[in-house]
Amino acid sequence: MNRQNIWIHITIAAIVITFAGILGQFRNWESKLRSAKTVSDVKSAPKLLTVKRSAEAGEPEVFVKFRPEVTLAEINKITRKNNDRVEDRIEAVKGLTSIDDLDDADAEAVAAQYAAMSNLVVYAEAVNRIELEPTEVFRPVSQADANASSLPDDPLFGEQWALNNAGQNGGKIDAHLDALKAWATTQGSGDVVVAVLDSGVDYTHPDLIGNMWMRPDDVPAYKDGELGSVNDLRGFNAADNQSDPMDDNGHGTHCSGIIGAEGNNGEGIAGINWNVQIMPLKFLGRGGFGTTKDAIEAINYAIDRKRNGVNVRVINASWGSTSKSKALEDTIRAAGEDGILFVAAAGNNGTSNDKNPHYPSNYNLPNVISVASLDRTDTLSSFSNFGVKTVHIAAPGRDILSTWLGEEYREASGTSMATPYVAGTAALILSIEPNLSVAKLRERILKSADKIDSANGKVESGGRLNAAKALLN
Amino acid sequence: MGFNQESAVKGAKTDLAKRLGVGENDIETVSVGAKDFPDMSLGAPVADEMSAQMISSGWTINLSARGKNYEYRADKYQLRLCGFNGTNHIIES
Repeated sequence: MNRQNIWIHITIAAIVITFAGILGQFRNWESKLRSAKTVSDVKSAPKLLTVKRSAEAGEPEVFVKFRPEVTLAEINKITRKNNDRVEDRIEAVKGLTSIDDLDDADAEAVAAQYAAMSNLVVYAEAVNRIELEPTEVFRPVSQADANASSLPDDPLFGEQWALNNAGQNGGKIDAHLDALKAWATTQGSGDVVVAVLDSGVDYTHPDLIGNMWMRPDDVPAYKDGELGSVNDLRGFNAADNQSDPMDDNGHGTHCSGIIGAEGNNGEGIAGINWNVQIMPLKFLGRGGFGTTKDAIEAINYAIDRKRNGVNVRVINASWGSTSKSKALEDTIRAAGEDGILFVAAAGNNGTSNDKNPHYPSNYNLPNVISVASLDRTDTLSSFSNFGVKTVHIAAPGRDILSTWLGEEYREASGTSMATPYVAGTAALILSIEPNLSVAKLRERILKSADKIDSANGKVESGGRLNAAKALLN
Repeated sequence: MGFNQESAVKGAKTDLAKRLGVGENDIETVSVGAKDFPDMSLGAPVADEMSAQMISSGWTINLSARGKNYEYRADKYQLRLCGFNGTNHIIES
């Protein structure tokens, strides 16, 4: 390069930098001007400006599902006019948009404002932010407690009554999933991905590390409209928008061990799948609770990965509440349309979901299985919700031993624990029938249930999950 | 912030006093006891909250002031007020 060319390059660079600075200043002025406008100047519909968010309500935010014919440009125009901004788009559900209100108004009022635009909007619902904090932990079980004489060679397998109930600790013989028989057919496959939508997963746990999903080199990094490119090498974290889905609660790690702790590896326990890929989707915080919005974003991520070639076939959802959300329902439906089974906990209030709905388990969608809990004597757990119309199957959920934080193993109880046995069995089926449709997969699991007295009239199938029978075509 | 039973009771009293505009000495502790809650929202979810469906251990704290009873729930890391003016509240976490 000669001296003359150098000066030409320096001149061009100076012009570009100056232009960028001017542009940035213009944007700054525009932003200040927008925030300085009085709301009444720009609103197209009435808004309850006197209603301020409370400290507990969190950021005012709404989910709005726009009608299909409304373009993104129009959505942006509407939100700008309302002094709002598009916070995120849930790409898996056409028109579903998360909107931030910049006026600090009450989220319910903002939702009502959008819902009133019925020519443009299908529905709008408020989103609330929730503080996330830690939770109580459970009784540790030492390796010395184990009955190491059982098959496979995992030293704590003897404690896993759900997989093989030989009457240990007062259990009822054969009140189990019949895992030994199932494993004679298949022990799972690393080709099947189960997304654990939870508090994250301790992907360094020695009994899980070999079955953790990692984004393959040929799958592009996740791109979110608002977050940009996300480092999703190990999964997704919607709780704090960081890329690391490490578990800081323990619940997600426990569920993951039930689904896919490595089997016959001489370590800890065996999952219902010895081989599988567990994809951590973190949306519950350290306290074990989180927001509907973050759940939606994480499901949207799983659908995106599926569309990019990752074989996500099952989502495990060991959580819920009585809060109903059309946006969450639509996102779960979209997952089903992409071939993903959604297995959900029925809830722990000991009540009928037919009368008092629990979500997401109560969404009447063709890809949802709602799971109740049994104890080691085949009795419906006293805490378990039920419902012959709305809860589909029962599975072991009391005194369940599984992986925990810090390379530990703990017992825990809840429909949270019953759910991953069903999700894991779905993965086991897919290991030998990878092309099975969601409808067939769901039907196979429910129709093969062992009929038991305690589930009769309590769950739709009238029975307990049987993994061995579910593998039979 | 972490709680034990004692600090959870203190936190509950402080919160209730503030809400009612009374002194903490005007609040009576009716009962405090260990309890297993149905989920990680301690059976007292707030709006739009989803919680892990695992049985969680903690405490119930029943307080009384001005002739009315108030129920708080806590575990090691959170304190909630149940059904105050018809809704649940996360007080501290």
